[in-house]
Amino acid sequence: MTGFMMFMAATVLASVALGLCRVLLGPTRADAMLAAQLLGTGAVAVLLLLSHATARSHLADVALVVALLASVVSVAFVRRLKPVGGHNGGA
Amino acid sequence: MTADAAALDILLAVLLVFLVWRLLTLSDLFKATILFIVFGLLLSLAWVRLRAPDVALAEAAIGSGVTGALVLDALRRLGAHGAVDEARPLRLNLARLSGGLLVACLGAILLWSVLSLPAGWRGLSAEAMAAMPHSGVTNPVTASLLNFRSHDTLLEIAVLMLAVLGVWTLDAEPKPSAEPAGPILDLLVRILLPLMVVVAGYLLWAGGHAPGGAFQGAAVLAAGGILLHLARPFYLGNHVIIRLVIGFGFAVFLAIGVMLVVGGGRFLEFPSRHAGTLILVVEAAATISIALILLALFVGNVREGAGRDAP
Repeated sequence: MTGFMMFMAATVLASVALGLCRVLLGPTRADAMLAAQLLGTGAVAVLLLLSHATARSHLADVALVVALLASVVSVAFVRRLKPVGGHNGGA
Repeated sequence: MTADAAALDILLAVLLVFLVWRLLTLSDLFKATILFIVFGLLLSLAWVRLRAPDVALAEAAIGSGVTGALVLDALRRLGAHGAVDEARPLRLNLARLSGGLLVACLGAILLWSVLSLPAGWRGLSAEAMAAMPHSGVTNPVTASLLNFRSHDTLLEIAVLMLAVLGVWTLDAEPKPSAEPAGPILDLLVRILLPLMVVVAGYLLWAGGHAPGGAFQGAAVLAAGGILLHLARPFYLGNHVIIRLVIGFGFAVFLAIGVMLVVGGGRFLEFPSRHAGTLILVVEAAATISIALILLALFVGNVREGAGRDAP
């Protein structure tokens, strides 16, 4: 079972790595940002699988922190970078 | 190690090297920023594979909670023209050359100090593990950071305070107009912020017996503050209260050290009976201060005078 978990962790990492294409190709900034979010979700999955595969329950804490904080970057993107070129918030 | 684990490790290593290469050579700084955020995520996976869960936790908390938002904010200040760096990857100018030389010197010093260790020296881990029963905690990383090498941690907190001074001195941005947050962002803040506070407290408490501790908890707390600041901009200014809270962790740490000297012991040498309690007190105070320090690095300073009155 642990071998299977490890195999799945490697598979999830490989599939998520494909998301890097979206970061590099774009075409828009939002595509790249969402691909990074997908990678964050993938990292949570890999961490949880590794936690079971290696019987280290505290890896779930790392997954918890990644899951909790992943959205902060997206909020920073929406609130700080979206207005570039358009309506400028600064005075 | 099984073949699956080897495949995972090789894939991780290849991805990390690829990411570093791309993020250093891309001329589009926005894409480089996104790659940097992804790099932080994969780096924390790498720390997990290297069996350093404390470092993985710190990288996950600081990487996704603080530095990602900080770099994106820096990108905004560069404006539309600054978002493309034509000089990338490696056109040398004086600043880059001198920076490179400095890093090379530091690397040479580190290499020299590693090479000058006596042959066959096994490090201090055996001594550290032997002293664990007297450290007051059961997590060896926390024992090292807050007991065996507490001078180091005390000075690290001081360095963070100096960083805030630097930001307050150099950085002053005009207040951006506070756009209303919208219902989705409001809901997100309402759900995430309490969770972040709880998780920060949990990490602080867990630090005694499992991966976690003051820095990790503080990074999660600071991320909550950054989220709130992004939704509803507020300014810290340099009020007396803010300054007191920023100095609080360092002051408590130092006061405990001095009290131990007055009590007849040595500076920051915790008596093993009270070590656990003292470490928790120091960590709790440090968590609050470090969280506010990290938040102050993001929020920065306001340009108009004291910044208390709205223009």
